[in-house]
Amino acid sequence: MKIEVDRLSHVYDVKVLKAISLKLETYRSVAIIGVSGSGKSTLLRILSGLEKPTAGTVSVNGKDVRTKAHRESVGFVFQSHNLFPHLTLERNITLILEKTRHMPLEKAIGIARGNLEALQLSDQMHKLPKHVSGGQAQRASIARALSLNPDVIFLDEPTASLDPILTHEVLMAVKKLRTMGKDFVFVTHVISFVRDFADYVIFMHEGEIIEQGGPAILDRPQTPEMRDYMEKVH
Amino acid sequence: MADSTMDTLANQRNTVRKLHHALNYFFAIAVFIAGAFFVAVRQPRSLDFSGIIARSGIIRAAFFTTVQVSFIALVGSVTLGLVFYFFSISKSGFLKAFTNVFTEVIYGTPLLVMIFMMGYPVRASLNIATSPTMGLVGLTIYITPYMTNIFKAAFSSIPEEQYMAMELFGFNAFQRYRYIIIPQVIRVLTAPLMNNFSLIIKGSALLNIVATREIYYELFSWRQFTGRSFEAFVVMWGLYLAITLPLSQLTKYIERRWSR
Repeated sequence: MKIEVDRLSHVYDVKVLKAISLKLETYRSVAIIGVSGSGKSTLLRILSGLEKPTAGTVSVNGKDVRTKAHRESVGFVFQSHNLFPHLTLERNITLILEKTRHMPLEKAIGIARGNLEALQLSDQMHKLPKHVSGGQAQRASIARALSLNPDVIFLDEPTASLDPILTHEVLMAVKKLRTMGKDFVFVTHVISFVRDFADYVIFMHEGEIIEQGGPAILDRPQTPEMRDYMEKVH
Repeated sequence: MADSTMDTLANQRNTVRKLHHALNYFFAIAVFIAGAFFVAVRQPRSLDFSGIIARSGIIRAAFFTTVQVSFIALVGSVTLGLVFYFFSISKSGFLKAFTNVFTEVIYGTPLLVMIFMMGYPVRASLNIATSPTMGLVGLTIYITPYMTNIFKAAFSSIPEEQYMAMELFGFNAFQRYRYIIIPQVIRVLTAPLMNNFSLIIKGSALLNIVATREIYYELFSWRQFTGRSFEAFVVMWGLYLAITLPLSQLTKYIERRWSR
């Protein structure tokens, strides 16, 4: 995937992103790490089109992130599954395909079932989110992201609300997606996962990218901030 | 211990628990009936319901008037409440301020005063409707902020993240309400809505001051002619409970069903 970020700033009440620039071309799986409040989730949300940047230009695969064309070419997996609670796992997917992608229902069901099956959820798909485990719900939300046939899938700490066993379950599911030829950008605190899944790592601190490179940078932090972070997450 | 023995024990415990539950309610209700009985037998005159039975046609009409005006106030206050809810989330500072001032004024006003104000001085100034109609308008306005409140609570039960998802997946405004927001909100809304309906039914008794011929009005005027307080009030009370008790039981039933 191709990511271009030029002097991106973002402001809530305080400035959370401080004129970030970034240029990536050939990577398939990019990890964004850093302490809470470093701006990593905000960067992810802006890249995915979920949030509009205050200033600067951002594009993914040549599409400006403010455009509808971009929004329709991405998938997003939220921290807590964020499935619509009144709909079954399957309907959570088919509703989107049917109403916003104008797909006939039978075709939508076919796609939803295919993806739910790929994530081992065939026997759960007619249940409501509250009647399945956290790991299953999160896998369903990955299936939802996949069903939109995105070019890039964004994951915002997909395992933050799960226990270690469910974390493993979800990360295995994410790994499986790589074989489907999707590109990824994800935020996580699970460093072992970054190590064997990411081919590019971005370390953020106080709204700035202060280190970036291949996963090898995890073992040789150059800045005291990243050294400190690596000590704490281990 | 064998599983079957465990099951039998569990069943027995369950039966005993249910029996206890039923007995507790039986005695609680018995206390109320005993209280009513005490008041009844201590009346200076012997009880005589024949006057009420003779007026049963009028009283039946009064009962339906109560149900009817309450229903109108319900529909009216739900509609107005929704309008004020949209005011409260609108971008207009004035509409927000207006909603807040309205809410504070109503919260500080006794219902009796509200109905009286609308039924006489306001009616006289506008001269567009009769006192009973304006009294009903007063009741409707009085309940409105309570309705606005339950709309606020219901809509805020949908977390910010869901709105983000709706935006991300590209649902338009109509689709958001039709497929995602309303189906969820309706469940949160039903129980408090029915509680407010109960509030309206009880409040409608005050419409007697603008001469609405509802339950309170008819039985109270009968009492004025005959001096039979006990008979009048016990029937009056029973008629209100005949509406409100089934309503509250239905509310509880719906809540239980939907919480599954």
